Amino acid sequence: MTLKNEKRNMIFAGLVIGVIASLLVLFGNPKNMGFCVACFLRDTAGALGLHSAEAVQYIRPEIIGLVFGSFFMALAKKEFSPRGGSAPVTRFVLGMFVMIGSLMFLGCPFRMILRLAGGDLNALLGLAGFACGILVGVFFLNKGYSLKRSYALTKAEGGVFPVLTLAVLALLLAAPAFIHFTEAGAGPGAMHAPILISLIAGLAVGALAQRARLCMVGGIRDLVLFKETKLILGFAAILVGALVCNLILSGTTGTSYFHLGFADQPVAHTDGLWNFLGMMLTGFACVLLGGCPLRQLILSGEGSSDSAVTIFGLLAGAAFCHNFGLASSAKGPTANGKAAVIIGLVAALVIAGVNTFKKENAK
Amino acid sequence: MTYIATFFSHFGAIRYKKLCDAQGFAARTMPVPRSLSSSCGTCVRCEGGFVEPSGVCAEEVDRIAEVTEDGYVFVYHSEEHAHGT
Repeated sequence: MTLKNEKRNMIFAGLVIGVIASLLVLFGNPKNMGFCVACFLRDTAGALGLHSAEAVQYIRPEIIGLVFGSFFMALAKKEFSPRGGSAPVTRFVLGMFVMIGSLMFLGCPFRMILRLAGGDLNALLGLAGFACGILVGVFFLNKGYSLKRSYALTKAEGGVFPVLTLAVLALLLAAPAFIHFTEAGAGPGAMHAPILISLIAGLAVGALAQRARLCMVGGIRDLVLFKETKLILGFAAILVGALVCNLILSGTTGTSYFHLGFADQPVAHTDGLWNFLGMMLTGFACVLLGGCPLRQLILSGEGSSDSAVTIFGLLAGAAFCHNFGLASSAKGPTANGKAAVIIGLVAALVIAGVNTFKKENAK
Repeated sequence: MTYIATFFSHFGAIRYKKLCDAQGFAARTMPVPRSLSSSCGTCVRCEGGFVEPSGVCAEEVDRIAEVTEDGYVFVYHSEEHAHGT
Protein backbone atom coordinates (compact mmCIF):
# COMPACT_ATOMS: atom_id res chain seq x y z
CA MET A 1 0.00 0.00 0.00
CA THR A 2 1.45 3.37 -0.99
CA LEU A 3 1.61 6.34 1.37
CA LYS A 4 -1.06 8.03 -0.76
CA ASN A 5 -3.41 5.08 -0.23
CA GLU A 6 -2.61 5.03 3.47
CA LYS A 7 -3.54 8.72 3.69
CA ARG A 8 -6.77 8.13 1.77
CA ASN A 9 -7.72 5.29 4.11
CA MET A 10 -6.87 7.43 7.12
CA ILE A 11 -9.10 10.28 5.93
CA PHE A 12 -11.94 7.83 5.22
CA ALA A 13 -11.59 6.25 8.67
CA GLY A 14 -11.47 9.65 10.36
CA LEU A 15 -14.57 10.93 8.57
CA VAL A 16 -16.58 7.80 9.39
CA ILE A 17 -15.44 7.86 13.02
CA GLY A 18 -16.38 11.55 13.29
CA VAL A 19 -19.86 10.86 11.93
CA ILE A 20 -20.35 7.86 14.25
CA ALA A 21 -19.30 9.96 17.25
CA SER A 22 -21.75 12.69 16.32
CA LEU A 23 -24.59 10.20 15.80
CA LEU A 24 -23.99 8.63 19.22
CA VAL A 25 -25.00 11.97 20.75
CA LEU A 26 -28.20 11.89 18.70
CA PHE A 27 -28.86 8.41 20.14
CA GLY A 28 -28.38 9.54 23.74
CA ASN A 29 -24.73 10.09 24.71
CA PRO A 30 -23.89 13.43 26.41
CA LYS A 31 -23.29 16.33 24.02
CA ASN A 32 -19.81 16.57 22.51
CA MET A 33 -19.19 13.13 24.05
CA GLY A 34 -20.09 10.64 21.36
CA PHE A 35 -16.79 9.08 22.34
CA CYS A 36 -14.46 9.89 25.21
CA VAL A 37 -12.11 7.12 26.25
CA ALA A 38 -11.23 8.87 29.52
CA CYS A 39 -14.85 9.67 30.46
CA PHE A 40 -16.08 6.23 29.43
CA LEU A 41 -13.37 4.43 31.42
CA ARG A 42 -14.23 6.74 34.34
CA ASP A 43 -17.92 5.81 34.03
CA THR A 44 -16.99 2.13 33.84
CA ALA A 45 -14.75 2.45 36.93
CA GLY A 46 -17.72 3.97 38.75
CA ALA A 47 -20.08 1.22 37.64
CA LEU A 48 -17.62 -1.36 38.97
CA GLY A 49 -17.54 0.43 42.32
CA LEU A 50 -13.99 1.76 42.01
CA HIS A 51 -15.33 5.22 42.83
CA SER A 52 -18.63 6.42 44.23
CA ALA A 53 -19.42 9.53 42.16
CA GLU A 54 -23.07 8.70 41.48
CA ALA A 55 -23.32 11.03 38.47
CA VAL A 56 -20.77 9.10 36.42
CA GLN A 57 -21.42 5.37 36.74
CA TYR A 58 -22.20 3.28 33.69
CA ILE A 59 -20.44 0.44 31.87
CA ARG A 60 -19.90 2.07 28.49
CA PRO A 61 -20.37 -0.48 25.68
CA GLU A 62 -18.28 1.72 23.36
CA ILE A 63 -15.15 0.75 25.34
CA ILE A 64 -15.97 -2.94 25.00
CA GLY A 65 -16.65 -2.45 21.28
CA LEU A 66 -13.35 -0.65 20.72
CA VAL A 67 -11.37 -3.53 22.22
CA PHE A 68 -13.30 -6.18 20.30
CA GLY A 69 -13.33 -4.22 17.04
CA SER A 70 -9.56 -4.16 17.19
CA PHE A 71 -9.35 -7.76 18.42
CA PHE A 72 -11.47 -9.17 15.58
CA MET A 73 -9.75 -7.04 12.95
CA ALA A 74 -6.31 -8.05 14.22
CA LEU A 75 -7.33 -11.73 14.16
CA ALA A 76 -8.76 -11.41 10.64
CA LYS A 77 -5.61 -9.71 9.33
CA LYS A 78 -3.26 -12.03 11.25
CA GLU A 79 -1.97 -9.08 13.28
CA PHE A 80 -2.97 -10.39 16.71
CA SER A 81 0.43 -10.39 18.37
CA PRO A 82 0.61 -10.78 22.15
CA ARG A 83 3.52 -8.74 23.46
CA GLY A 84 4.50 -7.11 26.73
CA GLY A 85 7.08 -6.64 29.42
CA SER A 86 8.09 -3.06 28.65
CA ALA A 87 8.16 -1.22 32.01
CA PRO A 88 4.65 -2.24 33.12
CA VAL A 89 4.62 -0.37 36.44
CA THR A 90 5.85 2.84 34.79
CA ARG A 91 3.10 2.47 32.18
CA PHE A 92 0.52 1.98 34.95
CA VAL A 93 1.66 5.22 36.62
CA LEU A 94 1.70 7.14 33.34
CA GLY A 95 -1.81 5.83 32.61
CA MET A 96 -2.99 7.22 35.95
CA PHE A 97 -1.60 10.64 35.13
CA VAL A 98 -3.09 10.60 31.62
CA MET A 99 -6.47 10.17 33.30
CA ILE A 100 -5.78 12.92 35.86
CA GLY A 101 -4.83 15.33 33.04
CA SER A 102 -7.84 14.32 30.97
CA LEU A 103 -10.30 14.74 33.83
CA MET A 104 -8.83 18.15 34.59
CA PHE A 105 -9.76 19.12 31.01
CA LEU A 106 -12.87 16.89 31.02
CA GLY A 107 -12.04 14.74 28.04
CA CYS A 108 -9.42 12.60 26.37
CA PRO A 109 -7.75 13.77 23.13
CA PHE A 110 -10.59 12.11 21.16
CA ARG A 111 -13.22 14.13 23.03
CA MET A 112 -11.07 17.23 22.65
CA ILE A 113 -11.66 16.97 18.89
CA LEU A 114 -15.37 16.28 19.41
CA ARG A 115 -15.65 19.31 21.71
CA LEU A 116 -14.11 21.44 18.95
CA ALA A 117 -16.57 19.92 16.46
CA GLY A 118 -19.39 20.99 18.79
CA GLY A 119 -18.12 24.59 18.86
CA ASP A 120 -16.54 24.41 22.35
CA LEU A 121 -13.66 26.89 22.08
CA ASN A 122 -12.30 25.86 25.50
CA ALA A 123 -10.94 22.86 23.65
CA LEU A 124 -8.59 25.18 21.73
CA LEU A 125 -6.74 25.79 25.00
CA GLY A 126 -6.73 22.04 25.56
CA LEU A 127 -5.36 21.48 22.05
CA ALA A 128 -2.60 24.04 22.63
CA GLY A 129 -1.63 22.33 25.90
CA PHE A 130 -1.84 18.90 24.26
CA ALA A 131 0.53 20.01 21.47
CA CYS A 132 2.96 21.51 24.01
CA GLY A 133 2.94 18.29 26.02
CA ILE A 134 3.68 16.29 22.88
CA LEU A 135 6.57 18.64 22.01
CA VAL A 136 8.08 18.07 25.45
CA GLY A 137 7.72 14.32 24.93
CA VAL A 138 9.32 14.52 21.48
CA PHE A 139 12.27 16.37 23.03
CA PHE A 140 12.90 13.37 25.26
CA LEU A 141 12.32 10.90 22.40
CA ASN A 142 15.03 12.66 20.40
CA LYS A 143 17.36 12.52 23.40
CA GLY A 144 17.00 8.74 23.64
CA TYR A 145 13.91 8.15 25.85
CA SER A 146 12.90 4.51 25.96
CA LEU A 147 10.85 2.24 28.23
CA LYS A 148 12.79 -0.61 26.65
CA ARG A 149 11.47 -3.19 24.26
CA SER A 150 8.54 -5.53 24.66
CA TYR A 151 8.71 -9.29 24.15
CA ALA A 152 6.48 -11.86 22.50
CA LEU A 153 4.03 -13.49 24.90
CA THR A 154 1.73 -16.49 24.64
CA LYS A 155 -1.62 -16.26 22.86
CA ALA A 156 -3.27 -17.02 26.20
CA GLU A 157 -1.67 -13.94 27.79
CA GLY A 158 -2.80 -11.78 24.87
CA GLY A 159 -6.32 -13.11 25.25
CA VAL A 160 -6.71 -12.24 28.94
CA PHE A 161 -7.68 -8.61 28.41
CA PRO A 162 -10.34 -9.35 25.77
CA VAL A 163 -11.78 -12.02 28.11
CA LEU A 164 -11.90 -9.50 30.97
CA THR A 165 -13.62 -7.06 28.63
CA LEU A 166 -16.15 -9.75 27.78
CA ALA A 167 -16.78 -10.27 31.51
CA VAL A 168 -17.49 -6.54 31.86
CA LEU A 169 -19.99 -6.81 28.99
CA ALA A 170 -21.67 -9.68 30.84
CA LEU A 171 -21.94 -7.48 33.95
CA LEU A 172 -23.54 -4.73 31.88
CA LEU A 173 -26.11 -7.11 30.41
CA ALA A 174 -26.83 -8.96 33.66
CA ALA A 175 -26.78 -5.74 35.72
CA PRO A 176 -26.41 -7.42 39.14
CA ALA A 177 -27.13 -5.32 42.24
CA PHE A 178 -23.43 -4.68 42.97
CA ILE A 179 -22.96 -2.83 39.67
CA HIS A 180 -23.74 0.88 39.94
CA PHE A 181 -25.68 2.80 37.32
CA THR A 182 -26.37 6.53 37.46
CA GLU A 183 -30.09 7.11 37.93
CA ALA A 184 -31.99 8.88 35.16
CA GLY A 185 -31.41 12.63 35.23
CA ALA A 186 -28.67 12.36 37.86
CA GLY A 187 -25.71 13.10 35.59
CA PRO A 188 -23.78 12.26 32.41
CA GLY A 189 -23.63 8.59 33.42
CA ALA A 190 -27.37 8.34 32.80
CA MET A 191 -27.04 9.72 29.28
CA HIS A 192 -26.25 6.98 26.86
CA ALA A 193 -27.23 5.48 23.54
CA PRO A 194 -28.94 2.05 23.58
CA ILE A 195 -26.48 -0.73 24.41
CA LEU A 196 -26.57 -2.38 20.98
CA ILE A 197 -25.98 0.89 19.13
CA SER A 198 -23.09 1.82 21.45
CA LEU A 199 -21.57 -1.62 21.05
CA ILE A 200 -21.82 -1.60 17.26
CA ALA A 201 -20.37 1.93 17.14
CA GLY A 202 -17.46 0.83 19.31
CA LEU A 203 -16.85 -2.24 17.15
CA ALA A 204 -16.83 -0.16 13.97
CA VAL A 205 -14.53 2.52 15.37
CA GLY A 206 -12.24 -0.11 16.92
CA ALA A 207 -11.90 -1.94 13.61
CA LEU A 208 -11.31 1.26 11.65
CA ALA A 209 -8.80 2.58 14.18
CA GLN A 210 -6.91 -0.72 14.09
CA ARG A 211 -6.68 -0.70 10.30
CA ALA A 212 -5.73 2.98 10.09
CA ARG A 213 -3.50 2.95 13.21
CA LEU A 214 -5.36 6.07 14.28
CA CYS A 215 -3.70 7.89 17.17
CA MET A 216 -4.40 11.40 18.42
CA VAL A 217 -0.90 11.78 19.87
CA GLY A 218 0.87 10.17 16.92
CA GLY A 219 -0.46 12.81 14.53
CA ILE A 220 1.36 15.74 16.12
CA ARG A 221 4.33 13.55 17.11
CA ASP A 222 4.93 12.31 13.56
CA LEU A 223 4.45 15.80 12.13
CA VAL A 224 7.18 17.12 14.42
CA LEU A 225 9.51 14.11 14.24
CA PHE A 226 9.22 13.21 10.55
CA LYS A 227 7.21 15.99 8.85
CA GLU A 228 4.73 13.17 8.14
CA THR A 229 1.05 14.20 7.92
CA LYS A 230 -0.74 10.86 7.64
CA LEU A 231 -1.82 10.41 11.26
CA ILE A 232 -2.79 14.04 11.74
CA LEU A 233 -5.05 13.74 8.70
CA GLY A 234 -7.10 11.26 10.71
CA PHE A 235 -7.30 13.77 13.54
CA ALA A 236 -8.49 16.47 11.10
CA ALA A 237 -10.93 14.11 9.36
CA ILE A 238 -12.64 13.24 12.67
CA LEU A 239 -13.08 16.97 13.30
CA VAL A 240 -14.56 17.56 9.84
CA GLY A 241 -16.80 14.47 9.97
CA ALA A 242 -18.21 15.31 13.41
CA LEU A 243 -18.54 19.04 12.65
CA VAL A 244 -20.46 18.50 9.41
CA CYS A 245 -22.69 15.87 11.03
CA ASN A 246 -23.34 18.16 14.03
CA LEU A 247 -24.37 20.98 11.69
CA ILE A 248 -26.64 18.68 9.67
CA LEU A 249 -28.25 17.33 12.87
CA SER A 250 -28.73 20.87 14.17
CA GLY A 251 -30.46 21.82 10.93
CA THR A 252 -32.71 18.78 10.73
CA THR A 253 -33.67 17.78 14.27
CA GLY A 254 -34.54 21.11 15.92
CA THR A 255 -31.92 20.45 18.62
CA SER A 256 -28.60 22.29 18.65
CA TYR A 257 -25.52 20.08 18.33
CA PHE A 258 -23.19 23.02 17.63
CA HIS A 259 -22.79 25.95 19.98
CA LEU A 260 -19.82 28.22 19.26
CA GLY A 261 -18.21 29.88 22.26
CA PHE A 262 -16.56 29.37 25.63
CA ALA A 263 -19.45 29.62 28.07
CA ASP A 264 -22.21 27.10 28.75
CA GLN A 265 -20.58 24.22 26.93
CA PRO A 266 -21.71 20.69 27.84
CA VAL A 267 -19.54 18.85 30.40
CA ALA A 268 -16.83 21.53 30.23
CA HIS A 269 -15.42 24.45 32.22
CA THR A 270 -13.91 27.73 31.11
CA ASP A 271 -10.65 27.81 33.09
CA GLY A 272 -8.22 28.17 30.20
CA LEU A 273 -5.01 27.72 32.19
CA TRP A 274 -6.10 24.40 33.65
CA ASN A 275 -7.60 23.20 30.39
CA PHE A 276 -4.15 23.89 28.93
CA LEU A 277 -2.17 22.25 31.73
CA GLY A 278 -4.46 19.23 31.98
CA MET A 279 -4.05 18.40 28.32
CA MET A 280 -0.35 19.21 28.47
CA LEU A 281 0.02 16.47 31.06
CA THR A 282 -2.07 14.13 28.91
CA GLY A 283 -0.05 14.86 25.74
CA PHE A 284 3.30 14.50 27.49
CA ALA A 285 2.40 11.25 29.27
CA CYS A 286 0.85 9.80 26.10
CA VAL A 287 4.06 10.36 24.12
CA LEU A 288 5.97 8.59 26.89
CA LEU A 289 3.46 5.72 26.60
CA GLY A 290 3.60 5.67 22.80
CA GLY A 291 -0.06 6.44 22.14
CA CYS A 292 -3.28 8.12 23.23
CA PRO A 293 -5.95 6.35 25.35
CA LEU A 294 -7.83 5.27 22.21
CA ARG A 295 -4.66 3.75 20.78
CA GLN A 296 -4.02 1.93 24.07
CA LEU A 297 -7.44 0.27 23.80
CA ILE A 298 -6.76 -0.69 20.19
CA LEU A 299 -3.35 -2.13 21.05
CA SER A 300 -4.82 -4.09 23.96
CA GLY A 301 -7.19 -5.67 21.44
CA GLU A 302 -4.16 -6.59 19.32
CA GLY A 303 -2.69 -8.44 22.30
CA SER A 304 -0.46 -5.83 23.94
CA SER A 305 -0.29 -6.48 27.67
CA ASP A 306 1.66 -3.21 28.06
CA SER A 307 -1.40 -1.36 26.78
CA ALA A 308 -3.69 -3.47 28.98
CA VAL A 309 -1.62 -2.41 32.01
CA THR A 310 -1.91 1.20 30.84
CA ILE A 311 -5.70 0.84 30.77
CA PHE A 312 -5.65 -0.51 34.31
CA GLY A 313 -3.66 2.63 35.17
CA LEU A 314 -6.31 4.77 33.47
CA LEU A 315 -9.04 3.01 35.48
CA ALA A 316 -7.13 3.48 38.73
CA GLY A 317 -6.51 7.12 37.81
CA ALA A 318 -10.25 7.60 37.25
CA ALA A 319 -10.98 6.12 40.67
CA PHE A 320 -8.43 8.42 42.33
CA CYS A 321 -9.85 11.41 40.46
CA HIS A 322 -13.27 10.96 41.99
CA ASN A 323 -12.25 9.51 45.36
CA PHE A 324 -9.77 12.36 45.99
CA GLY A 325 -11.75 15.18 44.37
CA LEU A 326 -9.31 15.67 41.49
CA ALA A 327 -11.78 15.71 38.60
CA SER A 328 -13.07 19.03 37.32
CA SER A 329 -16.77 19.78 36.89
CA ALA A 330 -18.70 22.38 34.92
CA LYS A 331 -17.91 24.74 37.84
CA GLY A 332 -14.20 24.43 37.15
CA PRO A 333 -11.13 22.62 38.42
CA THR A 334 -10.61 21.74 42.08
CA ALA A 335 -7.63 22.67 44.25
CA ASN A 336 -6.83 18.97 44.66
CA GLY A 337 -7.00 18.51 40.88
CA LYS A 338 -4.59 21.39 40.28
CA ALA A 339 -2.12 19.90 42.77
CA ALA A 340 -2.47 16.48 41.10
CA VAL A 341 -1.77 17.89 37.63
CA ILE A 342 1.36 19.65 38.89
CA ILE A 343 2.48 16.42 40.58
CA GLY A 344 1.73 14.59 37.33
CA LEU A 345 3.84 16.97 35.25
CA VAL A 346 6.75 16.61 37.68
CA ALA A 347 6.34 12.81 37.76
CA ALA A 348 6.26 12.64 33.95
CA LEU A 349 9.41 14.77 33.76
CA VAL A 350 11.16 12.48 36.24
CA ILE A 351 10.05 9.35 34.35
CA ALA A 352 11.17 10.90 31.06
CA GLY A 353 14.49 12.01 32.50
CA VAL A 354 15.30 8.73 34.23
CA ASN A 355 14.50 6.76 31.08
CA THR A 356 16.41 9.14 28.79
CA PHE A 357 19.64 10.05 30.47
CA LYS A 358 20.70 6.67 31.81
CA LYS A 359 24.14 5.48 30.73
CA GLU A 360 23.18 2.97 28.07
CA ASN A 361 20.89 5.47 26.32
CA ALA A 362 23.59 8.09 26.17
CA LYS A 363 25.79 5.90 23.95
CA MET B 1 18.35 -1.17 -3.28
CA THR B 2 16.19 0.15 -0.50
CA TYR B 3 15.68 -1.54 2.87
CA ILE B 4 13.34 -0.80 5.75
CA ALA B 5 14.28 -1.87 9.26
CA THR B 6 11.64 -2.06 12.00
CA PHE B 7 12.37 -2.01 15.73
CA PHE B 8 10.98 -2.88 19.13
CA SER B 9 11.38 0.73 20.28
CA HIS B 10 11.86 4.26 18.92
CA PHE B 11 15.21 4.38 20.70
CA GLY B 12 16.38 1.29 18.79
CA ALA B 13 15.60 3.06 15.52
CA ILE B 14 17.60 6.14 16.48
CA ARG B 15 20.56 4.00 17.52
CA TYR B 16 20.43 1.92 14.29
CA LYS B 17 20.28 5.06 12.14
CA LYS B 18 23.44 6.35 13.82
CA LEU B 19 25.06 2.99 13.05
CA CYS B 20 24.05 3.26 9.38
CA ASP B 21 25.35 6.83 9.19
CA ALA B 22 28.67 5.74 10.69
CA GLN B 23 29.01 2.93 8.12
CA GLY B 24 28.20 5.18 5.17
CA PHE B 25 24.64 4.03 4.35
CA ALA B 26 22.17 6.81 3.60
CA ALA B 27 19.49 6.30 6.25
CA ARG B 28 16.54 8.21 7.64
CA THR B 29 13.95 7.56 10.32
CA MET B 30 10.27 7.57 9.38
CA PRO B 31 6.92 6.12 10.56
CA VAL B 32 6.59 2.37 9.89
CA PRO B 33 4.59 1.81 6.66
CA ARG B 34 1.15 0.35 7.53
CA SER B 35 1.61 -2.48 5.04
CA LEU B 36 4.70 -3.60 6.94
CA SER B 37 3.35 -3.53 10.48
CA SER B 38 0.38 -2.54 12.62
CA SER B 39 2.86 -0.87 14.98
CA CYS B 40 2.87 2.93 14.93
CA GLY B 41 6.55 3.10 15.73
CA THR B 42 9.63 4.35 13.94
CA CYS B 43 11.51 2.56 11.17
CA VAL B 44 14.78 3.28 9.37
CA ARG B 45 14.89 3.46 5.58
CA CYS B 46 18.36 2.62 4.22
CA GLU B 47 19.55 3.15 0.65
CA GLY B 48 22.18 0.96 -1.00
CA GLY B 49 22.49 -1.58 1.80
CA PHE B 50 21.92 -2.14 5.48
CA VAL B 51 23.92 -2.82 8.60
CA GLU B 52 23.68 -6.45 9.70
CA PRO B 53 22.35 -6.32 13.28
CA SER B 54 24.73 -7.66 15.90
CA GLY B 55 25.43 -7.25 19.59
CA VAL B 56 23.23 -4.76 21.47
CA CYS B 57 21.75 -3.56 18.16
CA ALA B 58 20.38 -7.05 17.39
CA GLU B 59 18.20 -6.89 20.51
CA GLU B 60 16.41 -3.84 19.12
CA VAL B 61 15.90 -4.78 15.44
CA ASP B 62 12.65 -6.61 14.71
CA ARG B 63 12.87 -7.17 10.96
CA ILE B 64 14.59 -5.78 7.87
CA ALA B 65 12.81 -5.88 4.52
CA GLU B 66 14.03 -5.16 1.02
CA VAL B 67 11.61 -2.93 -0.87
CA THR B 68 10.77 -4.54 -4.24
CA GLU B 69 8.21 -3.78 -6.94
CA ASP B 70 6.09 -6.65 -5.61
CA GLY B 71 6.26 -5.56 -1.99
CA TYR B 72 8.57 -6.40 0.88
CA VAL B 73 11.05 -9.28 0.98
CA PHE B 74 12.35 -9.92 4.48
CA VAL B 75 16.12 -10.27 4.65
CA TYR B 76 16.46 -10.31 8.44
CA HIS B 77 14.25 -11.51 11.29
CA SER B 78 14.75 -11.19 15.01
CA GLU B 79 14.89 -14.46 16.93
CA GLU B 80 11.22 -14.06 17.86
CA HIS B 81 10.20 -14.18 14.21
CA ALA B 82 12.71 -16.92 13.45
CA HIS B 83 10.89 -19.06 16.03
CA GLY B 84 7.55 -18.17 14.52
CA THR B 85 6.22 -16.23 17.49
